[in-house]
Amino acid sequence: MKVALEKDFRRGLSGIRNLDPVGWVFAAMNLIFLICAVGLGGFLLVESVPVMRSEGLAGFWLGENWWVGETFGALPMICGSLIVTGLAVSLVLPVALSGALFTSEYLVPSFRRRVKGVMELLAGVPGIIYGLLGVSFLTVGIKDVLNLLDGNTLFTAGCLLAIMILPTVLTLSEDALHSVPAEFREAAQGLGLTKLQTAWRVVLPQSLPGIAGAVLLGVGRAMGETIAVMLVIGSLDKVPGFNIFVSGQTIPSKLGREAAEALGSGLHWSALMGLGLTLFLMVAVLTFSGNIFSRWRSR
Amino acid sequence: MVLAIIGTITFLIVVLLVFILGTLFVKGLPAFHAGFLFEESRDFGLSGGIFYQAVGTLILMATAVLWSLPVALGSVLFQTEYLSGKFKTFLTQLTYILNATPTILFGLVGYLFFGVYLDIGVSWVTGSLILAVMILPTLQVSFREAVEALPEKYREAGMALGLSRPSQIRRIILPQCFYGMVTGVLLGLARAAGETAAIMFTATTFFGIQLPQSFSDPVPTLQTHILVLAQEAANPESMAQAWGAGLVLLGLVFILTLTAWAFRTRMVMESEQ
Repeated sequence: MKVALEKDFRRGLSGIRNLDPVGWVFAAMNLIFLICAVGLGGFLLVESVPVMRSEGLAGFWLGENWWVGETFGALPMICGSLIVTGLAVSLVLPVALSGALFTSEYLVPSFRRRVKGVMELLAGVPGIIYGLLGVSFLTVGIKDVLNLLDGNTLFTAGCLLAIMILPTVLTLSEDALHSVPAEFREAAQGLGLTKLQTAWRVVLPQSLPGIAGAVLLGVGRAMGETIAVMLVIGSLDKVPGFNIFVSGQTIPSKLGREAAEALGSGLHWSALMGLGLTLFLMVAVLTFSGNIFSRWRSR
Repeated sequence: MVLAIIGTITFLIVVLLVFILGTLFVKGLPAFHAGFLFEESRDFGLSGGIFYQAVGTLILMATAVLWSLPVALGSVLFQTEYLSGKFKTFLTQLTYILNATPTILFGLVGYLFFGVYLDIGVSWVTGSLILAVMILPTLQVSFREAVEALPEKYREAGMALGLSRPSQIRRIILPQCFYGMVTGVLLGLARAAGETAAIMFTATTFFGIQLPQSFSDPVPTLQTHILVLAQEAANPESMAQAWGAGLVLLGLVFILTLTAWAFRTRMVMESEQ
């Protein structure tokens, strides 16, 4: 195994052995890219060492209080991030799946292309625009409908994120559904299945890995969104428990709120970097499993 | 029955998204008085235009692409033309991980590296360097798509003519992938234009500065402008200006994306010939 890997590695690098001058320039550019990517993770790791040392790993991740100058506990932010992301996914999943199924299986091709185009365009709408919509409609609406004192809640953030990742999840799941070969559908119809049965029993199971990949991508995006969440979540560092109709805090919103105060030095900055590292690890796990799913699909 | 349900849901999704765009137009258009785009803002953003904010956004995204373009192009060509095997797969994976990284982390680490260690401080240069790293994967993915869509026979023809690798890259790959590269650049610009989190505490300021006079000055941008104004949701004047700026920003992103798509279609048509 190891020998084979080494051989593969050497063969992979064989193009480098007699490198022309242009190749050296390209190699240098590649090195810059490598440094950027590795440096990002490396810096987060190195810079969060001071806070991990003073709080301890468990103390940092399970600590409930974030008092600048005294103690740094990340649990409220971690819980907030998980709750908000989980909420967004559970809201978006049924809606996006129905939409994708309808677009892929029932819409005529010209219409389908139009829907996809609009979805892909909307997937690029900046987070700040959603934040603007959130503060002017969603917070007020949720406050009135649910009769709350304050509309800035975890629930609001979850809803806003659900709307935000909807186009991404929908269009990617639709891709997965649409890439199921036509023979499968024809075979199913030859067996006398109705169109709905075909979609539900044949197409959906076949494209499940692709859909999982799409959802995980959406989850990653929701988890890392800063601005939209920051504007509607209320920024309260408290472990929310089981009530989602209270103000809270996610890791990115905390970073967004406090990075400007702590710029560059001290234990406070290190604590923020520790939060960043936590977020990075959470998103990396998601991306990694998403890639495994999509590789599974392509096999 | 089920069909009716999922049909209705799809319809509602479309309604929701149309509502979002419609709101932006309805709320944003009243802010457009004569010269909204070409006046400076007054009264801490409550009246006047958004000229310098728009210029700031343009400066940041243009310089970001300027930094990012050579690195993306060089690394993609190195990976596709000189490398193969596990190392290449690893680098591709790295691109995807970088692409999924939350943007605020680029802000944090970028500020530490460029702002503190390289001592540039809070300035538009820091911001553009951070954005450059952030849009690197966007550019790389588009470039790689373009290079890999190149029909194998072009390369073979080049090899048969005895072209060396550099001249093959210069004479065949670069001209043939031109449209794909334009797509990548435009998508990168769009991504940089929409980004707020990575630059809000590293490169921008809300009010008081017009154009950066030196490399260590921050700039005002549309994104920060909207962010600050949106935090005063109770003030109608403030919100009106925020909606106006939001509409301009969204228009910018949409125009860039649509142009990018036009170039991509062109690329697909060329490779099918």
